[in-house]
Amino acid sequence: MHDPITHVKPRAEWALIDMGRPCVPGNVTARVIKHPVAGSASTSKVQRLGAEGCITMTTPQPLWKEPPPEKPADKRRRGFVILSFWLIVVLLGLPIWWQTTTIYRADLPLQEMLDWAEGRACRPVFPLRIAVQAPSLHDHEAQTLVRLTQHALDDLNDFAGHHLRLSLAKQSAPSADLDVVLTVRLLPGDATTAHLDPYEPVLHVTYPPNAIPSASASSSTLATYIASTLREAFAEEQATISYLLSANGSSPSSGEPRPLGQGLAPDVAESLAKRSTRALRYAPTYHLTFSLFTSGSTPSSWDIEKAIEDYMKPVLDVLSPIHNFTIDTQIQLYATPGVQNQVLTKEDLSSFINAAEWPLSPSIGGAPTINFVVFIGNQTIYIPSSSGSESVSSHSWLIPQWGAVYLLPLTSGTAHLPSHELKHPLLTFTSHLLTLTGTPHSGSLPLRLSSLSRIRSADLLLRASSTLGSLARLVVALPSISIPPSVADGVATTLSHLRHACYTLGMPEALYHARVAEAAAERAFFEKSMVGQLYFPDEHKVAVYLPLLGPVAVPLLMGAWNEILGWVRRRGVKGKVE
Amino acid sequence: MDGGKVTLGRAAGLYAGAAVLRLAIFSLLPALPDLLTGRVEISTPVTSFKRLQEGLFLYNHNVSPYDGGVYHQAPLFLPLFSLLPSYATFPFLTNFLYVIVDLLSANALWKIAESGEAGASAHFTSPRREKRWSGFVIAATFLFNPFTVATCIGRSTSVFTTCAILHAVAKAVSGAPFGAMAALAFASYLSMYPLLLLPPIMLLAYDRQNPTRAIRSPLKFSLACTTTVALISAALLGMSYLLTGSWEFLAATYGVQLTLSDLTPNVGLWWYFFIEMFDSFRSFFLAVFWLHLSCYVGGLCVRIRSQPLAVITLLLGIFAIFKPYPSISDTSLFLALVPLYRHVLPLMRYSFVIAAVILYCVLLGPAFYHLWIYAGSGNANFFYAITLVWGLGQSLLVCDLMFAVLRDEWEVERPEMVGKEIRQI
Repeated sequence: MHDPITHVKPRAEWALIDMGRPCVPGNVTARVIKHPVAGSASTSKVQRLGAEGCITMTTPQPLWKEPPPEKPADKRRRGFVILSFWLIVVLLGLPIWWQTTTIYRADLPLQEMLDWAEGRACRPVFPLRIAVQAPSLHDHEAQTLVRLTQHALDDLNDFAGHHLRLSLAKQSAPSADLDVVLTVRLLPGDATTAHLDPYEPVLHVTYPPNAIPSASASSSTLATYIASTLREAFAEEQATISYLLSANGSSPSSGEPRPLGQGLAPDVAESLAKRSTRALRYAPTYHLTFSLFTSGSTPSSWDIEKAIEDYMKPVLDVLSPIHNFTIDTQIQLYATPGVQNQVLTKEDLSSFINAAEWPLSPSIGGAPTINFVVFIGNQTIYIPSSSGSESVSSHSWLIPQWGAVYLLPLTSGTAHLPSHELKHPLLTFTSHLLTLTGTPHSGSLPLRLSSLSRIRSADLLLRASSTLGSLARLVVALPSISIPPSVADGVATTLSHLRHACYTLGMPEALYHARVAEAAAERAFFEKSMVGQLYFPDEHKVAVYLPLLGPVAVPLLMGAWNEILGWVRRRGVKGKVE
Repeated sequence: MDGGKVTLGRAAGLYAGAAVLRLAIFSLLPALPDLLTGRVEISTPVTSFKRLQEGLFLYNHNVSPYDGGVYHQAPLFLPLFSLLPSYATFPFLTNFLYVIVDLLSANALWKIAESGEAGASAHFTSPRREKRWSGFVIAATFLFNPFTVATCIGRSTSVFTTCAILHAVAKAVSGAPFGAMAALAFASYLSMYPLLLLPPIMLLAYDRQNPTRAIRSPLKFSLACTTTVALISAALLGMSYLLTGSWEFLAATYGVQLTLSDLTPNVGLWWYFFIEMFDSFRSFFLAVFWLHLSCYVGGLCVRIRSQPLAVITLLLGIFAIFKPYPSISDTSLFLALVPLYRHVLPLMRYSFVIAAVILYCVLLGPAFYHLWIYAGSGNANFFYAITLVWGLGQSLLVCDLMFAVLRDEWEVERPEMVGKEIRQI
């Protein structure tokens, strides 16, 4: 049986062509015959060929020669050939396509990440333990004093996150406990005085003999005095932390009327903002570059190694639990500053560094660089003070987030700069370094450092949380972004370290956990393979698939279409016969 | 028989001539083998003799040969080559091994040619079958084909695969299905892609079974063949496991072919494509390329069921174009089988174009590679362009041969059309 339509149509078209436009013999010498070649012979192609125009025969016979009907066996075979290709496409191709092009999205604990970012998962609480040592007091007297002082502190405190917890320490052990932030040492004296020990986290308080409160007293001037002194000592830290919390907006969505930043006066907030813009971003390692720039040929050497060892190393050592430092030095002769006025005004200071010519690389290795520049020259700085009459003269200035410059006047001809000449510059640089690392200004150095570590851990904690929040929002907002397993791992690491950091806030290990959490969060957020597919719109996928798969798909689809068409026609014919 | 003796004498002469040619090149032009070994047209990452030496060195020093990611060939080559004296000191035996393998391939080809399977198979007898070349001529065209000689001199390990494939076909033709399956299992073990030849070789073996002990049920036969191949392959893989002590050779040999992790340029079409490919689509297009390579098997087996040897020939041509690491060795295998179809060669329409394109590539391919790599005045596109032309020439040959085979078949059906021009629609 063969399909009648197949062979009727070409004949009709041939007749049409014959009547309308007689073919010039010899221009096309081809003969249309049905030739079974793997899956390509099709009835519709005969029709299309006919429609293209002229079909001439090489043989001189004037009549269209009908190709013999296709044998059913051939038809079946053609069907099998087409089927064999389609089986591979459908059974292997489609699953592989699905498997290899679906975007891998690891499950992320989105809600938890958002909770952290919005400050719901962790209320930063800094329980600061303060030990009280009162060797000359009886136990019950001391306890009364501690209780009263604690009451006074609680009355004074308006920031719930920052507790000062007093406890009576054993007389003999002087602040052996690591968790103790400050020791208050009570000693009998003539009047009520208090001062911070410059080398140890100790507050020395003297009291006159009559100031000891009785057991039944409900208030005591000594207790109030101690409380207000302590509060003063921690005021800056408290302000900084509450500034950080409010700046990070960690609780606006919780509905509470912002209890954290409420105690900040506008001027305090402003100075804190200024200080936080000066400080560099936290990094576990900083690279310190000491540069000696001179406008002439001298001095050509300096004792910087010894000077650093003598004047700066002690501070670097005490900073070492918080930061590591790497140091390099350089000397640059015949260096011209950006401004060559004899008297530098405030405007000149910002353009003094000749960034184009001075080899002050922005960053060596992975760590951020802090530059300390000693410039040999007798320029002076003139800054009219705010009051107008008085002027402040100085040798150095600090460049926020970059470093510091010191102008060192020197008689010309000094070939070698000994270390004692560098004492001033380096001591100045040391104090600048503390500012650049974000250390609070008030209090004794030990207290400032421990408070720096707390401020930094709070800062890192908040930053890691907000990175997590950004990642979570990004993942929700971009359904086509891929999430490789490394990101999920990073998020898990961040969350677990954040939890630890939150529990241990106020203790030294909080900084470690917060640091790990922040690094992991940053790595997860900036995972490169995530963005690979991000800027890959669907139109581009056409450009990827079509050049190769298009040509392959055309014969496949045409073959399948013709087979289906033929099958439908045969069904139709059968139906009519019945 | 008188003719047999003559044949034997001629065969000996041919083989001796081919062996002398090869050994003469080895000894008279001592620099040539190493030069050819380094050519990308001959040595691919999965067949290179240099890489084999590296693997051999590691193997002889009790280091896993796959450490370092240079050696991607079957582990069983290692004991074979370490039995031979070191190539550096005494290269003759190694060279001789390659010559012997070439001669064995030629011998198998001779057997295939003498069987007459190309002209008259179980289901189809060509009216033109009388016009054919003898086994001598066909073996000679194989042995003296410059591609074959260059492959042998370059000591590419693909000659072992070639030999195994030709023996598989020869065994199938001579009615030894299990021998054919064993040879095919060897070939697949060495290069993996010959596994795709299993269906046509099974058909060929089924058609040419010895009638006295034939398995008539196609299902049973195919099951038996598949089981044989699976068992022998499993045995070879097991031996390799025992030899290397771990399964890492699977990833280093077959894994490299599947994932194309070594992008050294070759005459194929894959390397350039996958250099340019977006990483996220790489695995998808690897699958597409492999599926493309394998999708011809079913269609051709169905369409030219009556001539399984033609299917094998055409598939070998397709593999030489589209496999991941092709070399001229694959082309030489294809060209070895094409003369079996001497009787349909007059039906081909583009013989001149094909010959011209292939010559053009042979001359310009090395030149373009030189421009790119050594002179630096060209870039990768130069070489890729010439490999495209090379692929075009080979695909023309494959298509034209297929056309000729089909037309030959068709003219039996329509004797009145013999000698007339036709158009494919």
